[in-house]
Amino acid sequence: MQREIFLSGMGQTRFGEHWDKSLSDLMSEAIDTAITSSPCTALDIDLIIVGNMLGEIGSDQAQLGSLASSLLPHRPPAIRVESACASGSLALHTACAFLESGRAKTVLVVGAEKMTDVSPDVIAQALMGAADAEADRPSGLTFPGIFGLIASRYMYEYGLRREDLSLVSAVHHARSKENPFAQFRSEISPETVSESALVADPLRLLDCSPISDGAAACILSTEHGSTIRIAASQIAADTLSLTHRPSITTFPATKEASEKALLEARIKLSDIRFLETHDCFSIAALINLEDLGFADPGHGVDIYRRLYKRKSDAEILVNESGGLKGCGHPVAATGIKQVIDVAKALCKSGERFGLAHNFGGAAATCGIHILEHTHA
Amino acid sequence: MPDTSPIIHRAQKRLSAKLQDGTVLACTTLAHPPSRMGHHPRHIALIQLEDQSRIIAPLTAPLPIGSSVHPRMRLQSVNAEGLRIYDVSFESLQEKTAPMQVFPGYILALTGPTGVGRTTVSRLLLRMTADYAEAVPILKTCERRMRKDERTHCLTKRAFTELKRKGEIVAMAHATTDGDEECWYGYRASDIERIWKKGKLPVVITETHLLQELAAHYGRRSLLSFGLLPPGRSKRTMLSHLLRRLLKKGDRSEEFIRRSLKHAESELAFLRERKDLFDRILVNGDLDTVVASLRKHLPTPESSGYNPRTSL
Repeated sequence: MQREIFLSGMGQTRFGEHWDKSLSDLMSEAIDTAITSSPCTALDIDLIIVGNMLGEIGSDQAQLGSLASSLLPHRPPAIRVESACASGSLALHTACAFLESGRAKTVLVVGAEKMTDVSPDVIAQALMGAADAEADRPSGLTFPGIFGLIASRYMYEYGLRREDLSLVSAVHHARSKENPFAQFRSEISPETVSESALVADPLRLLDCSPISDGAAACILSTEHGSTIRIAASQIAADTLSLTHRPSITTFPATKEASEKALLEARIKLSDIRFLETHDCFSIAALINLEDLGFADPGHGVDIYRRLYKRKSDAEILVNESGGLKGCGHPVAATGIKQVIDVAKALCKSGERFGLAHNFGGAAATCGIHILEHTHA
Repeated sequence: MPDTSPIIHRAQKRLSAKLQDGTVLACTTLAHPPSRMGHHPRHIALIQLEDQSRIIAPLTAPLPIGSSVHPRMRLQSVNAEGLRIYDVSFESLQEKTAPMQVFPGYILALTGPTGVGRTTVSRLLLRMTADYAEAVPILKTCERRMRKDERTHCLTKRAFTELKRKGEIVAMAHATTDGDEECWYGYRASDIERIWKKGKLPVVITETHLLQELAAHYGRRSLLSFGLLPPGRSKRTMLSHLLRRLLKKGDRSEEFIRRSLKHAESELAFLRERKDLFDRILVNGDLDTVVASLRKHLPTPESSGYNPRTSL
């Protein structure tokens, strides 16, 4: 990083079905909490970056930069960024670029999504916008379908068993039980996952992250210090369509972004203690652990076996918040919520480094942020 | 995305390039497909095609990874403007090729656009090799007897449909004749097998459909497949060459020539895109040279690879 950037404030709404709150209400709640938690006032904010994917479809609302700006008394300039489920980390990355260049000193980053106002069929179609509209959509494929294809291939290549895949969601639910902001706060057994309704063979209902409303906000600043600093912010991209990739059981964008991020933070992978990874579907969590380098190809599930047994000596703690499966997945809020969760875990434990891994589509865009606890 | 005409037009143009056999790389079944696709579970696969490109397309039934599949056009829906939207579905290849897994013998196939000289070339060739090659008669539906030809068997639409129903026709295609008459034509398995029994090499004149169906039925390696191109380096010079030949015949209507040229364009594209279906592509500039080079590539009864009687 060219300048020291601090995470000076953070806030989020509970993720879930908020029938009584609009997109703007959700944003407002997250922004208020973030400002209250920070040493600065609303007037210190020079710029807002908004991450959002479905404003037009879910709420008939475009111009989200302006919408966010209207929530602050001095109407700072605002920019909206979109890259499907990676919108949150892309918003953070954009904010870092403004801060590093010196164009802004304190930036409010907010990711918000309102998904439950329209029918699930409409939302499912809109989410398919994260894949290639010409190569993938005409066949009738949905996003669970894309990961169904990936899971079927992964099982074929590595011999992963259904009961092992079910451990992933069971672990995430066990963690989200403790998280007051999570959508699902109940434990589920691996058997329940295996027996849940079929969505996209071999994926079942409880392999999939839910449709959620929610917002998350961060204040990044080069002026207002805090104990958490951004050690690295990196993004990478891959082809939009699966049909253009040589392999579908690995996501090169994750590898590229994480290598660049570790280099930027000048640390080794083993320095990372907390990981928030993008488990939009259970199979994605396994592939992510392999691409990030925590496991060999085909062995991501070994980490989940250890996490399921709650071995405290596990080398890496994954999705302590409950991940996307447990917390809910309001598309653009997720990337920012992950950073908040890593920061909370670092503050609570006193550990030094944590990594937030967020991707959009089938990892067509990947954003990685490494946080450092400076007093550790 | 709305299903409007321009979007569908572009999608279907892309699809035609993907009409190839392939292998299933990954397969999933959607319990709840998008509502526009109906409410039945939908099987979708990532397929590696013969040209090494990949496609995501529906399957007619769930298949294990590694299965060989064959494309099939299916009517998917009719949009608000009344446009019929087709989609490519893939089905298992095994069922289709199961009856013909034994190598049955060679068939010589000449493919090319109308006017390139397929008929002339095959006539010359057959005259020179009458002792070991024989033309397979074309079955054609026609209402009234048209030009008499010893190589065309005319029959009524009903008789043709009956043969088709019995599965006796191995390859067929649809065409509009010069007299603006819709007709079906194709080849009968028994005709081809009769020639093999005589120990001779069956010769067929094909176009895109017939060639693909013959390859699917007898297996690609049974076909000695030659593509004939008109002389010329660019598509335009090739087409103008065809036009000249068609005009020289003098007895064809303007509408027929226009239609033939349009068809020729897609046939030329097919020759380029499906190189795998051809053993050799020959340019028909000079008749004698083409026939000579064809003869050179023909297996003779003495050559080791060709012995239809033992292979049957």
